[in-house]
Amino acid sequence: MIRWIGLAVLVLGALIAVSDSAFVIEEGQQAIITQFGRIVGRPYTQAGLYWKIPFIQKVFFFEKRILEWDGDPDRIPTLDKKYIFIDSTARWRITDPVQFFMTLRTMRNAVDRLNDIIDSAVRDQISQYTLIEVVRSTNHITQLPPEQLVSMSDEARIPIQVGHDRILEAIRREVRSQVERLNYGIEVLDVRIKNMNYEAEEVRRKVYDRMIAERNRIAALYLSEGRGKKAEIEGEMQKKLQQIRSQAYQKAQEIRGKADAEAIRIYAEAYGRDPEFFAFLRSMEAYRQVVQGNHTLILTTDSPLYQYLKRSTARP
Amino acid sequence: MGERWEILMPRQYRWRRWVQLPWGWIALGVVLVWLSLTSLFTVESGEVGLVLRFGRFVREVGPGLHWKLPFGIERVYKFSTERIFKEEFGFRTRTVGERTEYSPPENPEEPVMLTGDLSIVHVEWVVQYRIVDPFAYRFRIADPKKTLRDISQAVVRKVIGDRTVDEVLTYGREEIADEVRRLMQAILDAYGAGLRIETVRLQNVQPPDPVKPAFHGVNQAKQEQERLINEAWEAYNRAIPQAEGEAKQTIAQAEGYAIEVVNRARGDAERFRAIWEEYRRAPDVTRQRILLETLAEVLPHVQQVLVLDPETRSLVPLLSLPATTGKKAASEEKP
Repeated sequence: MIRWIGLAVLVLGALIAVSDSAFVIEEGQQAIITQFGRIVGRPYTQAGLYWKIPFIQKVFFFEKRILEWDGDPDRIPTLDKKYIFIDSTARWRITDPVQFFMTLRTMRNAVDRLNDIIDSAVRDQISQYTLIEVVRSTNHITQLPPEQLVSMSDEARIPIQVGHDRILEAIRREVRSQVERLNYGIEVLDVRIKNMNYEAEEVRRKVYDRMIAERNRIAALYLSEGRGKKAEIEGEMQKKLQQIRSQAYQKAQEIRGKADAEAIRIYAEAYGRDPEFFAFLRSMEAYRQVVQGNHTLILTTDSPLYQYLKRSTARP
Repeated sequence: MGERWEILMPRQYRWRRWVQLPWGWIALGVVLVWLSLTSLFTVESGEVGLVLRFGRFVREVGPGLHWKLPFGIERVYKFSTERIFKEEFGFRTRTVGERTEYSPPENPEEPVMLTGDLSIVHVEWVVQYRIVDPFAYRFRIADPKKTLRDISQAVVRKVIGDRTVDEVLTYGREEIADEVRRLMQAILDAYGAGLRIETVRLQNVQPPDPVKPAFHGVNQAKQEQERLINEAWEAYNRAIPQAEGEAKQTIAQAEGYAIEVVNRARGDAERFRAIWEEYRRAPDVTRQRILLETLAEVLPHVQQVLVLDPETRSLVPLLSLPATTGKKAASEEKP
């Protein structure tokens, strides 16, 4: 019976030894082995099944994947004394697990260190530039056609010199050089600004006021454009009316004139045959038309009527 | 049956019943079941299975029934490469029963952003993506979803930061979404995240609440502008065709006049010619006759006849002309 128990213990011990000497590194992981606290051999960066001396050697696993870093929003003054909060995010990874193990050991430490390094780099760079440099990447806005810029404040019309992308690049450079100098065995792949905005509610309120003023300017512009256009159309209408009417008048007068001239020609041609007889006929007709009702007839001695009256009384 | 055995068998032999079971076969059966449970697996259609042997990637399998080495020697990770995943920014969709409700995001700052003219807008957007490289998605990046969210926010802020409020709110939306998609894809590719951005759509884009009335004011002003212009054109359209018609009328009237005048002239001329033809044959008689006829017509209406020498015109004002008030004075001057 004791022999049986001894055998069982032996088998169990062997099993434990085997299970403590084999270890699996999964894809996306890497590991190092320590012996009494000292690192032995090279880091294991490839996935697979590996062996170590049981109990004496210990294995530490590390991420090989790209890791996230998410900072707390930070209140930073820009060069033009505007307080904004900046919420940055970064991506990093462990490139040298040995170095990482010696300097930082845990992820928590790494994140703490990154907090310091990234926050200070972001602060350094952002505070060197005006808000507009941080917000904009290109000068797209200042190159818009002028009618789209009517509402824009003077501040927003200034073209940028550096811009969002190059500030981010400078932040990355600073972060990388720090990380490299401290030799943590990590690499910062990317730093980006996830969120940025005016910090205080009162500042926002001022921005709202400015936006309202801008909108009112646009509204006024639309109204005045509308009125202007209306006046223009009305003016055009007046002009056109006068043109139409005067042209019609001109044409009518021409037609009338031509007709009158024609009439005159016809009359002249007809009456020219005997102007004296025509004058006689015409005066007779005139008397007939004019003298109706009680009249006083004033005749000069040379008027045809008198002539005739005189002749007719003298002759018989 | 059991009962009978119990009765028949003596108490001290009862445990033998257990010993006599086919233990070898049971053990084999258990092992086989475990074996098949840990070595058989199915991959659904639209999925990809990654097989890892002792943690190391060995093969990728498509949809269907597959074998792997049992007892955890090989493990399989399955990913859907056809399913489209959706991330919402600035709002969250909750499905309550049949209804879809939109609620604000956990972080109220998420949709608030700065435009290039230093204004504030609220932007809500949706990103749809697919896993195109499951290996990269699982083993190259620690938290792909969080990474996608962070990048999306960073990129949207950068792009909005380069536009005016007007562009963001109105005509620039598609262009912005397109640029966001492009930039996000470039960054994800640089990380090797194994994701493909299918679409980026700006959902609800609006000015902050305190500014909204001013934006409405602009819309109203725009409508007012259009109204004024339409009014003016309406007046124009009402007046011009009428004036054109009236012009034609004027011309037609003139033409009518012309026809009349000429016709009358011709008539008169013809009449004169006819009279004159006859008069020429007996001028004196005709003349006398016409004169007499005229006198016969005229004289009954004449009260008084004054005869003046042509030189004594100044005499006229001295005359008192009785019974002529309200009546016409006919005078005949020398033609």
